[in-house]
This record gives sequence, C-alpha cells and structure tokens, in this order.
Amino acid sequence: MSSFDVNFILKDISNAFPNRILDYRFDGPRSVFMSVDPSALHDVIKYLKDKYDLRHIVTITGTDLGDSIELIYHLSPLNRRILVNIKVKIPRDNPHFPSIVSILPGAILYEREVHDLLGVVFDGHPSLERLILPDDWPDGVYPLRKDWKVEVK
Amino acid sequence: MSYYTIPIGPQHPAIKEAFQFNFVLDGEVIVDVKPRFGFVHRGIEKAMELRTWVQGIFLAERICGICNVPHTTCYCLAVEKVYGIDVPERAKYLRIIINELNRIHSHLLWIGVLGMELGFHTVFMYVWRDRERVMDLVEMISGNRVTPSMNCIGGVVYDITPEMEPIIKRNLDYLEERTKYYKKVLMEDPSLKARTEGVGVLSKDKALDLCAVGPTARASDVKSDVRFDDPYTLYDEIDFNMVTYSTCDVWGRAMVRVDETIESIKAIRHALEKMRPGPINVKVKRIPPIGEATARVEAPRGELLHYVKSDGKEVPYRAKMRTPTLANIPALCEMLKGHYIADIPAIVASIDPCYCCTERLMFTDIGNGKSWIWSYDELRRYSLKYYGLGV
Repeated sequence: MSSFDVNFILKDISNAFPNRILDYRFDGPRSVFMSVDPSALHDVIKYLKDKYDLRHIVTITGTDLGDSIELIYHLSPLNRRILVNIKVKIPRDNPHFPSIVSILPGAILYEREVHDLLGVVFDGHPSLERLILPDDWPDGVYPLRKDWKVEVK
Repeated sequence: MSYYTIPIGPQHPAIKEAFQFNFVLDGEVIVDVKPRFGFVHRGIEKAMELRTWVQGIFLAERICGICNVPHTTCYCLAVEKVYGIDVPERAKYLRIIINELNRIHSHLLWIGVLGMELGFHTVFMYVWRDRERVMDLVEMISGNRVTPSMNCIGGVVYDITPEMEPIIKRNLDYLEERTKYYKKVLMEDPSLKARTEGVGVLSKDKALDLCAVGPTARASDVKSDVRFDDPYTLYDEIDFNMVTYSTCDVWGRAMVRVDETIESIKAIRHALEKMRPGPINVKVKRIPPIGEATARVEAPRGELLHYVKSDGKEVPYRAKMRTPTLANIPALCEMLKGHYIADIPAIVASIDPCYCCTERLMFTDIGNGKSWIWSYDELRRYSLKYYGLGV
C-alpha cells in the first residue's frame, strides 16, 4: 500500500513543500526522520494529517543541542504501520514555538512535558501548566538542558 | 447549580505511580476530571545521559517493575539500530518468548486486580496463584522472578535449554486451561458483568482522537498493535491473532486481556517450535557510532517508544521514552466522565496503570466547606456497599 510507505510520503511531501524539507534519513523500513523548516511545521503536520491520516502523535522529544533546541514530533497513522519523525530546530535563548494542539489534540500532555523539562513555550497551548516537576521547583530551571548538572554526592 | 470537587491522590487508588485526579462532581456523577502527575518523577531520562550504554539497559528495566521486559527490548532495539547490527535469529525468538511471558504475567496480574477492585477476592486469589507459574518459568530461564535482565545490546543473555522446553510447554498447557476458565467466569458471572458492562465507556472515535493505545484502544475496536503493525524481532513469522472487542467498556478491556493471554501462549508455543539452535548474541563495541534511532514495542499496556541519540561518546546524548500509561491518561479522563464515584476504582484500573495500595482520598464539600478524608480501603468499601455487594 503506497500511502503507508515512508518513501512515498517523503517524496510527496518534498514536492508539496519545496525547499522546506531540509534533510531526511531512514530509520528502518517503516520509519523516517526529516528536518523541516520551523515556519513550515504546522502546514506539514496538517498536510500529513489530512492526506495520510497521520493523526496519532506518539510523543514529542526535546533535545538541547547547545545553541538550539531540537523538537522531534513522532507521528503515526491510525493503523500505526509507520513512524514519521519530524525535526525542527528552535533558538535556545528564545524558545517560543506555536502549539500544535489545535491540529492534534493528543499533543496536549507532551507539549506540557517538553515545556517543563526544556522550557520551550508553546504559544497557543490551552493550559501550559506544570506537569511533571514538583510545585516548589524553581522557575526558569530546566533539568533536561545540558547546563543543568546532577549533583553527585 | 453547585459542583463538588474531589481531589484524589497523590497517594491514589489503583496507581503505583502517585497520581492526582481532581474530580468535579454533580452529586454522584463525574462531570470533569483534571489529572496532575509527576509525584514520582525520577528523572530517568536525565539519569540515562549519565550512564553508559550498557548501564542504560538496567536503568530502562527499572522504569516499570511489571513491564520491564518490553522496556529493555525497546531500548536494545533502538540502540542496535544506532549500531547498525542485526541480532541472531535465535535471540529474536528468545525475545519473543520472554516478552510474551511478561505479557501473560502482567495480564493475569491485572485480572486479579480487577477482581479485587470489584470485591471478588476469589478471582484475585485464583489468578495470582496461577500467575506464580509464569514467574517460576521466568526464574527458571533467567534466575530472576520479576526482572529477568534478559536483553543485552546484540541479543539476549540467557538461553532456553532443551531440558527447559517440556517444562515450559507443560506449564503453558496448565495456564491455557486456567485462562479459558477465567474467560468463562468473566463472560458468565453476573456480579462481574454488572460492575463492568457499560462502565467506563470510550467510543472508537474518542479512542482515536485521544491517541489511546494498547488493550484500552483495542477494547474500543481500534485495530492497533505494534506486533502486527510494525513487527519487531520476528513477530511477523509467529502465528497468532490480534484481539479486539467493540464493547468499549471495562468488560471489553478485561476480555481483550484474557484473550491476549491465550494468544500469547500460542505465540510462545509457536516460537519454541520454530526456534533453531544457534548463537544468542553478537559482540558489539563499547561505544556506538554517531546516530539516532527510534524503536516501538507493544508492552502489555500498549505502544512503547524509545528514542536514543548518540554523539559517539560512551554515554547517550539523549534517551527518551514514551510509556503507554501516559498516552492513555486523556482517554481515561474521558471514560470517567458521566460515571459514578463508586465506579472510579474499576475504571481507573481498566487502563491497567501500575498498581499500589496505600492511598488516601480527600473529599471536600465546597458548599459548606466541610472536608473529610477517606482511605482507599474506605472508598472501596463505600463502592461495594453502594452496589450492595458486602465487604
């Protein structure tokens, strides 16, 4: 079935969004990583949802790369055959990014998780409250950033 | 009209990881649910970055005590993708066997827990007695009852010797017979049916929208199971079936798990049959090359995802995991709406969150500012009394 082939999807999306797909790499026969221009992410996710039914968001991974923060949106169709991992890089000193909850309601908890641990502010999220960290955790301290060190006693 | 708000947790019914739910109630009926968690956040993702790749296996094993095997399997699959290696065929079959044994023990544990929640202690005693057989098998194979430490990067550690095979088959026969009996009990016992049928309804559309996974989704007629959709190890060569029910309630979730136990027994038998002698692991270098990978595994509770990123050092640059219980929380909040306080234990248990016993609930009456505290045991007794089942 071509519509559940990551190769096919990758080709189609590269044609639909010329110059917006910056890089890609296959991760096994049914999984692909692609880097996307941050300004095009919403359109790409919406396109994948409408055309290929990629409605299931598995999770959002945030990684501190030093000068930027990388977000990976792991998307899967309803039948879970494939995994499309969409990467965007956002600046670390001003980590604002539009929320995708309006497109994929399942992302609501995952955006809160990334906000807690890496300090990414998802603009337009309905309630970006603390999810994982304790209530008395100091503001502006994000444990998954690389400059936050674990004290070894 | 005034609503009551009841915070339940963080020391909470039915959940090992301390959770908090704020229930908004109209009389006895739940109107809205707000979850709050992180009370037992251990920072494992950060801890992974401080440990070597091999130490990561043992840390991954301790993410969840009950479904520890899928966690190590998933972590090893992801790391093996970064290495770019393939494990020997026998190791793949051994991984299937140990994963399915883990699923059987987890599902049987859950059936016992459901029985206990509903005040049906006989089910609990019977099922947990039979579950010991699985634990003994895991101990025979690996030396450990609960955490077998079976997986390593490049294969598995322990082999199944020819002498073990008849013992495993004999115990599987016993387990199959018992599980079929529990299925009959679930289908016929009127008190079990009265407490589970039509309770905790999650429609198919909602299950899809809220990204539910595992038996929770499959009981709402969603055909999704990573073992079939994105087969890992050699699941595509094993002869067994995906179980779905369309009742969308707690009863359906129980039936999915009972049937899956029977399918898992079938899968182990088939894997034992197909397994040929050979090496069970390959040697790998201590440090993987630069790269990143994802792996998905069907844990007893649903789809599990691990992502690892290597920058060519002896520790991972980033390790991320998404556990199925987190994915099922929005669905759980949805299925609680419109049901009674007395159904909370059964519904919360129905997504099979990891389990615990020392809970306290605080009930607050906003109208007159009165508040009182119920232990989980008291809530359970209230629930049984409500349904006239005695204690």
